[in-house]
Amino acid sequence: MSFVRLVVFGGLVLAVIYLCVSLYSRSIRREKLENQWDANPPEDATPDMRASFIANGMAVYESGLRKKLILLIFVIPPLVVASIIYFIN
Amino acid sequence: MRNIRRTLRIVMFLVVGLFLHYVMPQQDIARITSTEIIRTDFSSFNRIFYAQADSGSVDQPTRDLRLINTERKSTYFFGLIRGGNETMVFRNEDTGWIYPPYFKFDSSDLQAEAAAEISTAEAQWVVVTHYGWRIRWASIYPNAVAIRTAPSEDYRPFPWVNLVIFAVMIAGAVFLRAMWMQFRERTVDPLADRVGDQMDHVNADLAERKGRWSRWLGTWRKKK
Repeated sequence: MSFVRLVVFGGLVLAVIYLCVSLYSRSIRREKLENQWDANPPEDATPDMRASFIANGMAVYESGLRKKLILLIFVIPPLVVASIIYFIN
Repeated sequence: MRNIRRTLRIVMFLVVGLFLHYVMPQQDIARITSTEIIRTDFSSFNRIFYAQADSGSVDQPTRDLRLINTERKSTYFFGLIRGGNETMVFRNEDTGWIYPPYFKFDSSDLQAEAAAEISTAEAQWVVVTHYGWRIRWASIYPNAVAIRTAPSEDYRPFPWVNLVIFAVMIAGAVFLRAMWMQFRERTVDPLADRVGDQMDHVNADLAERKGRWSRWLGTWRKKK
């Protein structure tokens, strides 16, 4: 019974952590893109061009490896628990 | 205000430190003298210091408790200073799935191991990994988690596990701080700016309106 509790509550906690980390990572990437544009904008830059540059960068991020690596949050803690169980017992 | 904050901070630090001291693994060099089983009737006070019933069993108000009697090297100041020998009694209970997260289910096997390591005339030293405190007036024992043979009497085990746990905890705290800063920079501050802006607009508007109102009132006053 307590195993079920561990799985349910642990899963909830991990989901919250995943949400926070993915929001953080996205925000960092967006800030980086903004800074990249603002540091060296082309001559005839318009706000629209800036928005589309950032949107393109975010699209690359959404399909990139980094976003998938955040899923490790759901993989590593169960592995740690499994290894603790193995080493303790 | 500053004193209150300081006191709160100290209390929080103490609580977290004591909790970690209770939960983190410690390693003692000990000589097992005997193992025994006593029946325990928990009080509501010392109940929280004991584990649940063995994993897979049902919880009853009273049950048998496995104990490991040892003579160990006493240590002070987080194990940095070695003292003489003293007796110590460890309990041997499953921690189960939840708390503390040792995931220990093999207390019977550990008891058998302890029995196999009993040393009488010829001292046979073991490293007992455990967590918890011995509080005599409340009948509270540290929980032995693992037993392995010590190379010698003077062996000093290095707390690698604690080191890793602390490193992970510090990294987590730094990461959390970075996340919070980012959240504040990108979400809270712009919002506060916008609210402040709005307030300025409202105030300006009010001043403007008041100006109009008093000007209108002025039209009723006698012209000089």
